[in-house]
Amino acid sequence: MKMTYRLAALAVAIAMPLPAVAATINAVMYKNPQCSCCESYATYLEHNGFKVDIKPVNNLSQISSDAGVPADLEGCHTLMVDGYVVDGLVPVDIVKKLLTERPAITGITLAGMPAGAPGMGGAKDGPFTIYAFTKDGKAPTVYATE
Amino acid sequence: MELDFKYLVSRRRLLRAGACLVSTAVMGSRLSLASEVDEHELNATHGRASLAGADAPWTPVWAYDGMVPGPTLRVQQGRPVRISVVNALDESTTVHWHGIRLPNAMDGVPGLTQAPIKPGESFTYEFTPPDAGTFWYHPHADSLQQIGRGLAGALVVEEADPIVVDRDLLWTLQDWRLTKDGQIAPGFGSMMDAAMSGRVGNIVTINGAPPGDQTVRAGERVRLRLVNAALARMMALRFEGHRPIIVAIDGQPCEPREPQGGRIVLAPAMRIDVVLDLQGDPGSRHAVTDDFYDGLAYTLTSFVYSSEPPLRANPLDAPVRLPANPLPIPNLADAVRQEIVLQGGMMGGGKLKGVGGMVGMAMPGMNGGPAWAINGMSMTGDGHAGMAPLFTLQRGASCRLTMRNETAWWHPMHIHGFSLSLLARNGESVPHGQWQDTVLLAPKDTLECAFVADNPGDWMLHCHVTDHQMAGLMTVFRVT
Repeated sequence: MKMTYRLAALAVAIAMPLPAVAATINAVMYKNPQCSCCESYATYLEHNGFKVDIKPVNNLSQISSDAGVPADLEGCHTLMVDGYVVDGLVPVDIVKKLLTERPAITGITLAGMPAGAPGMGGAKDGPFTIYAFTKDGKAPTVYATE
Repeated sequence: MELDFKYLVSRRRLLRAGACLVSTAVMGSRLSLASEVDEHELNATHGRASLAGADAPWTPVWAYDGMVPGPTLRVQQGRPVRISVVNALDESTTVHWHGIRLPNAMDGVPGLTQAPIKPGESFTYEFTPPDAGTFWYHPHADSLQQIGRGLAGALVVEEADPIVVDRDLLWTLQDWRLTKDGQIAPGFGSMMDAAMSGRVGNIVTINGAPPGDQTVRAGERVRLRLVNAALARMMALRFEGHRPIIVAIDGQPCEPREPQGGRIVLAPAMRIDVVLDLQGDPGSRHAVTDDFYDGLAYTLTSFVYSSEPPLRANPLDAPVRLPANPLPIPNLADAVRQEIVLQGGMMGGGKLKGVGGMVGMAMPGMNGGPAWAINGMSMTGDGHAGMAPLFTLQRGASCRLTMRNETAWWHPMHIHGFSLSLLARNGESVPHGQWQDTVLLAPKDTLECAFVADNPGDWMLHCHVTDHQMAGLMTVFRVT
């Protein structure tokens, strides 16, 4: 029963993300309890003006799918920030660009766990392509490259 | 639940005492009964279940005889069983009798040990269970969907001489990923689930229902058979205020002992039998919790003591050690050594070509590729014809098998057709004489085990986090 409530709470959280307040930007990160790179990414965000509330979940693919992230562009965690979904290890300047420009999209995603992405370490091998997605069934578009 | 039991005398002993009285009149009747084939039928079909409570909508499921879990099959050790499986689904299926040492042709792996049972067809499984204990059955075809939509049931092989308990309880634990409107969530085979911890759900049921309170009586001794029939959910159960004694793992008796740290770790496909002396006060309440996943502990159920006076003042003074099963003992001095290495998954370090963190690779398993491998080789799916064995053992040889988990994830590795004697974990010997058909490896664990290759055929060895099996964490070995 408790799990049902938790699921309901998640649904509410997805529908109404926490608004950004004052200088720090509040974000909620849903992540697999056994995946550690997402925590490095949360630390990276916190060093860049965010306050990240980490929520371990066992059904991350369901949360990410419900949040509108296309199945073939899933990142390794799902972040809810100021009315947007930010999936995967998106560099912070692009997250801030999103929150400033406030385009009419559901969110952005950097698929997978590419080397050199924040939280991953390693050397970057090529540009990252960050896609914008919506929930209206339209194909994702390129939001930014870095 | 009824609490009037024949304490001190087990039900079977009572039956046997009755049978002895009769046998003087009807000579040999018991013998013919014991050798008579025990016939069963199972229908793999569609059904509906109340998984999320009385107020929630019904959930359409796939289920044996339309029930979740499927009917508990109770059979006798050493007595032939014949089970006719009828396929009323819209797709092919098979049944794997998980943990039973049986002829290869009865093992239920499509393509490898039998042709899949097509819709509308049936297949008759025949075997004689050599080992008593707690086992289970499930499909080995389209496994993610078929198990994930409800096809699973317990198979209890009864001992001729069971231990004395007041009640023999069974919890078949299933894990469901439901949508907000109570339907089975789509997204089977998601690459994220495949490359991480599998399709863990959001509703756990005990015997097909949301776990309500378990009514118990002070002073009683129960044997509790735990079956993890989940696709992917690991469990670590704690019985608050109680001291469970593990008496069998995966059906195989072990030296009775308390679990390490009071925590019973039960990975998918594992079974653990515990003996519980219920020594709480009448009217008291004690939580049973699962704290396997960090930050996600929850109360599974609670023991609620009735107000009746204790059944007895002190715990029952009867042995809890189960009679041994006739397992062949490996000859370690003369054993063939084999090693399997588990590779891949998220955070896999890119050691494997095309798997795990390779540069330019979005995610292991992306684009339909495998997410996992054993010794560099990915066998995906449920089983099919032409799976080349990784190694071959001469019949009768003892095999010392090392399993090395190079991944960052947990894997319950299941061997078909055999039970493994556990020797050592990470260099430390495993005590208590444990035999298991499903051994859990933590990230980076190395496990040493052994078995006698006494059963000919091509046998599977795979991870029982079903998504991992489907995405490449599977292999086959041959016994000549």
